[in-house]
Amino acid sequence: MGIKMNKIMTAAEAVDRFVFNGATVGMGGQSIGRSAMCIYHEIIRQKKKDLTLVGCNLSIPMDMMVGTGQVRRTECGTGNLERFGTTHCWRKAIEQGKLENEDYSHLAMVTRFLGGEMGLPFMAIQSLLGSDILAQKSASTGKKYEIIDNPWNPAEKVVLLPSLNPDLSIVHAQKADEMGNLIIDGFLAHEPEMIRASKAVIASCEEIIPSDEIRRSSERTTIPYMYVSAVIHQPWGAHPTSVYRYYAHDAEQMREYQRCAREGGAAFEAYLEEYIFSCATFDDYLEKVGGLKKYNRLRQEMMTML
Amino acid sequence: MSAEYTLNELMIIEAARQIRDGETVFVGTGTPMVAAMYAQKTHARNMCFVVETGPISPEVLPVPTSVSDPKAMHRAVKLGTLREVLGCLLQRGMVDVGFLGGAQIDHYGNLNSTVIGDYRHPKVRFPGSGGANDIASHAKRLLVIAPHEKRRFPERCSYVTSPGYLDGPEGRKKAGLKSPYPDLTVVTDLAVMSIDKSEGKLKVYKLMPGVSLEKVKDNTEFKVEAASSVVSVEIPTAEELRILREEVDPEREYLGKES
Repeated sequence: MGIKMNKIMTAAEAVDRFVFNGATVGMGGQSIGRSAMCIYHEIIRQKKKDLTLVGCNLSIPMDMMVGTGQVRRTECGTGNLERFGTTHCWRKAIEQGKLENEDYSHLAMVTRFLGGEMGLPFMAIQSLLGSDILAQKSASTGKKYEIIDNPWNPAEKVVLLPSLNPDLSIVHAQKADEMGNLIIDGFLAHEPEMIRASKAVIASCEEIIPSDEIRRSSERTTIPYMYVSAVIHQPWGAHPTSVYRYYAHDAEQMREYQRCAREGGAAFEAYLEEYIFSCATFDDYLEKVGGLKKYNRLRQEMMTML
Repeated sequence: MSAEYTLNELMIIEAARQIRDGETVFVGTGTPMVAAMYAQKTHARNMCFVVETGPISPEVLPVPTSVSDPKAMHRAVKLGTLREVLGCLLQRGMVDVGFLGGAQIDHYGNLNSTVIGDYRHPKVRFPGSGGANDIASHAKRLLVIAPHEKRRFPERCSYVTSPGYLDGPEGRKKAGLKSPYPDLTVVTDLAVMSIDKSEGKLKVYKLMPGVSLEKVKDNTEFKVEAASSVVSVEIPTAEELRILREEVDPEREYLGKES
């Protein structure tokens, strides 16, 4: 009884099949929370290139891929790691004129994904008026916006933004089943809109649950299976970012990354070699960055904050 | 009862005093978060904290490192989406106070957190707007907290990320912003400045204890004037300092180790 389909595969296979050069990639998570690091490490290993990365608060994985030269362009609300500093590779690449970034506010990015998820060509917003977010744009950006008078009240201005439908989006969920139904706990940020606007979605997860469990508590499903192309089972797959209800962020590892990214050059290359290129899988990386003591501590830290 | 305090601590307490009990406050990370937490523990117990990742009315634990830190989600009534908070609360007009940290703040209260120099090839690239433009566009009242360093206060931001009064008293109205005349207050470690709506420009309304108007002018690139009456910021009580130091930021991440 019930639909039979199995989208579970390795990160290597998912990235090989669904991430293509030149793709526009939507990045889930926000800042130090719930980034699908296991998938991004694989994208770096497979040297996918010419990518356009889009999202709201782009963070460590965006910064890594800018550092490796795999990114042509970013569109976002911010590149930021807050208390851990700015995204250094990204910042430097923009300052050196090597990377194009198109700025939006966070509501504006969500509005573009909202248009995309509703199957519409554009969506309205009333932020951005009077700011340089409208007045300035990158060289390769086409028509960034249109301002219209509200047809029902011409004295009122409305900004229209073109919809954004990424070629694929990447997200780390707490739970998934083999069909591709996703349960995402905790903050959701821009993910529901971005996921439903995307042409393909790769989701890694902490736990695989039976489809039966999804169907028995269907109001808990965040994303139904038809949006999802591949499911990867990777416990700790978001490390060093946090996963709500599972583990806290690894501040030590973040500071180490930030140190190497700020320094750039040989330090940055050494970080990539140690933690990405010399690891065949994400499990190899996890063994390097911490033993049981650290993982137990990160899990405990999360529990105390709930 | 007097107690020793730093101007950094008083800046945080004075900013928190701008929040009224029961208000819905949209808070950015960093110092705004600390000040809002202090307000929630003192005179504004019924305030509704809103964080851009989606937490609605959390009881924030000391001290979140990020808007996605679970400490900023603790005991929220709902963990929503970005659209639910930036759209359904903020753009909808239900946020009383937008509380931002400043990168650059100019004479008209405009904020720049994007670039210095040419947009396509900048001298300095900052993180970007995040929710700041949305907050400045829609909150009923704007509150900014920033250290008072000269380079942070140019006459006009070279890039306007978040609109203050843009270029004058009717700047927001001309641009079509839905809230054309919000109160806009900037609290620093030297002074409290607010927009004089007849000019659309920031003026000094309060001075930190022991700080002269001259010192404020020396540390501000734009030609800041005093309002018609200038008062002193009330010094903190020992109890206010205790709450700030022991309950809000016990690790002294924002208060600094010297406090």
